[in-house]
Amino acid sequence: MTVHKKIARTHDDVLEEIAQALDIPPSKFQEAKERYEALGGWLDRPESTLARYDPVITPQGSILLGTVTRPLTATEEYDVDLVCLLKASKTDFTQKSLKEAVGVEVREYARVHNMEKKPEERRRCWTVHYADGAQFHMDVVPALPDAQKYQLILEQRGYRNLAGDPSLTGQAIAITDNTEPLYDRLTDDWPQSNPLGYAAWFRSRMAMQLTEQKRAVAGRRLITASVDDIPDHEVRTPLQRAIQLLKRHRDCMFADDGEHKPISIIITTLATHAYNNESTISAALQSILTTMDRYIEWRGAEAWIANPVNPAENFADKWAEEPRKRENFFRWLKRARVDFALYLRASSFDQIPDVLRENLGTDLVDRILKTAIPAVAAPAVVRAGSNANDVQRAEAAIDEIRRAGTQSKPWAKS
Amino acid sequence: MGQVVSTSGRLTLEEVRAAIAFDQPKLHAASDGSDIRVTGRYLLMEKGAVANPDGPISEFDIEIVLSPRYPDREPKVFEIGGRIARNPDRHVNSDGDCCVTVWEHWLASTQDHSFGSFLNGPLHQFFLGQYWFEKTGKWPFGEYAHGDNGLWEAYAEVLGIPNKKKDVLYRLRLLSQDWPKGHWLCPCGSGRRLRRCHRSDLIALHEKIPPHLARRMLSRLKDAAT
Repeated sequence: MTVHKKIARTHDDVLEEIAQALDIPPSKFQEAKERYEALGGWLDRPESTLARYDPVITPQGSILLGTVTRPLTATEEYDVDLVCLLKASKTDFTQKSLKEAVGVEVREYARVHNMEKKPEERRRCWTVHYADGAQFHMDVVPALPDAQKYQLILEQRGYRNLAGDPSLTGQAIAITDNTEPLYDRLTDDWPQSNPLGYAAWFRSRMAMQLTEQKRAVAGRRLITASVDDIPDHEVRTPLQRAIQLLKRHRDCMFADDGEHKPISIIITTLATHAYNNESTISAALQSILTTMDRYIEWRGAEAWIANPVNPAENFADKWAEEPRKRENFFRWLKRARVDFALYLRASSFDQIPDVLRENLGTDLVDRILKTAIPAVAAPAVVRAGSNANDVQRAEAAIDEIRRAGTQSKPWAKS
Repeated sequence: MGQVVSTSGRLTLEEVRAAIAFDQPKLHAASDGSDIRVTGRYLLMEKGAVANPDGPISEFDIEIVLSPRYPDREPKVFEIGGRIARNPDRHVNSDGDCCVTVWEHWLASTQDHSFGSFLNGPLHQFFLGQYWFEKTGKWPFGEYAHGDNGLWEAYAEVLGIPNKKKDVLYRLRLLSQDWPKGHWLCPCGSGRRLRRCHRSDLIALHEKIPPHLARRMLSRLKDAAT
């Protein structure tokens, strides 16, 4: 994405600057991309034990959605979530043998590249650690194509339209899980996932603004560029920015309770449902914070936040057994509504209320304000003419209501 | 943006809280067991604007008392900061109750009677008007006459006729019927039966002012006369 410092004059300018600071820096993104492409190249090299399966590494999760937020502290790392897809079938592998086959090559990659820390096996992935300076690690999920079965199950459950939509379900995958009872058995019954389908849904919900942002970037380039020349990762829509801000707010609010904080996929899914292609971050936040909880379906006492590309999957499935997670989600939403509203509705653009400042990270916010609003040190000067300005604003507001023709007059009962 | 509206037809605390949650972060809603009370600072912003670089135009300390039977029951709005003088010329009664507007006029003029619609409609215009009056001594959208005359004026306006009591009453009586009777004389004064004259106009008006609202307006005029 394009980074350009400018003087902030509106709430949206300030929020854009904060969100930009939360984003993975373009150089870091490029570095991560080069690293995972290098890993992909290694897995697919002629001597690789996986070469005959044409392994491909693709990003998934927030790095693919463009909603990455920087870690809360300098010691934490960016998560780069990846899928390692092999052109093979479930008759070629058990979950265990696939995980191990990928593990052999990933470990060899780390050894050959003298990586200090060995790749770690986790429930569904291999975690590849880079040197401290890299500030990121990669979670590589071994996977096999599984669209046919995924679509069949959807169809059996009555989701015929979804099953017939190749963009949303045509790239579904089977993944491994070492806690599954059939982990080491040759079976057709594997856990499934659909990260590219989810990303396609996410993209479709902000398509209009994605084109708008690309048009703006193309317009700023000296050489003529068409919208199609601008890759998705070079722009950020108001939806992506709003999600970054909300995730950051969540991270700060639950700095001491990471285990029970609202999970990113829930925030992202509900925010995306609530988004109506608003063209500014402030309007997106208003829509999202006002209506996102209406997209939680209540099945009796059970909350259901459906995966939009697999409605049988409930992203809130942990809420029933751990009510604290559910309570924390609603506590967070209430706090986020008030914090962002106190800034957008009740404050001037250069005065971020303390509650929001703390929940976005005091140091980060102060740094942004200092660079984006040079006049912040002398707010009295800015405010000097505000009374006259308020009268002008009231006059414009009155004219607007008169034009709309929906006036109501005051009365007096006696 | 969608509205949270209760399915029971009664106003819920949830609906009120949803309406103020983002747009009016300095207001708080609570139920005292019967009524819902909304108190705090009302932020006066441009209608439809999410934010303004300078913040709100102004702020008023208010309390709104809402019956669960809202919108059948008119909300009571109080300015509690002492900023507005309590006198009819400022459209505030001696007990601090603000005469935001003639309620039936608003009910007949709009289709969305949710609390959010009230907040962004008459309440917004009332406080914008108060601010403008403070600055200029004028009411930007005009004002109704004090007392009963204001009621007649508002009702005539919503009926779309000159303010003549006899005409207002006759039309409201017609509209208070579940179905305006075709053999009644047309209110236009032509001397013809309604079914052969302005029947379609009256049916259109009937949509806007349903029988229960017309009966309520008649009853209020009757109360005013006694």
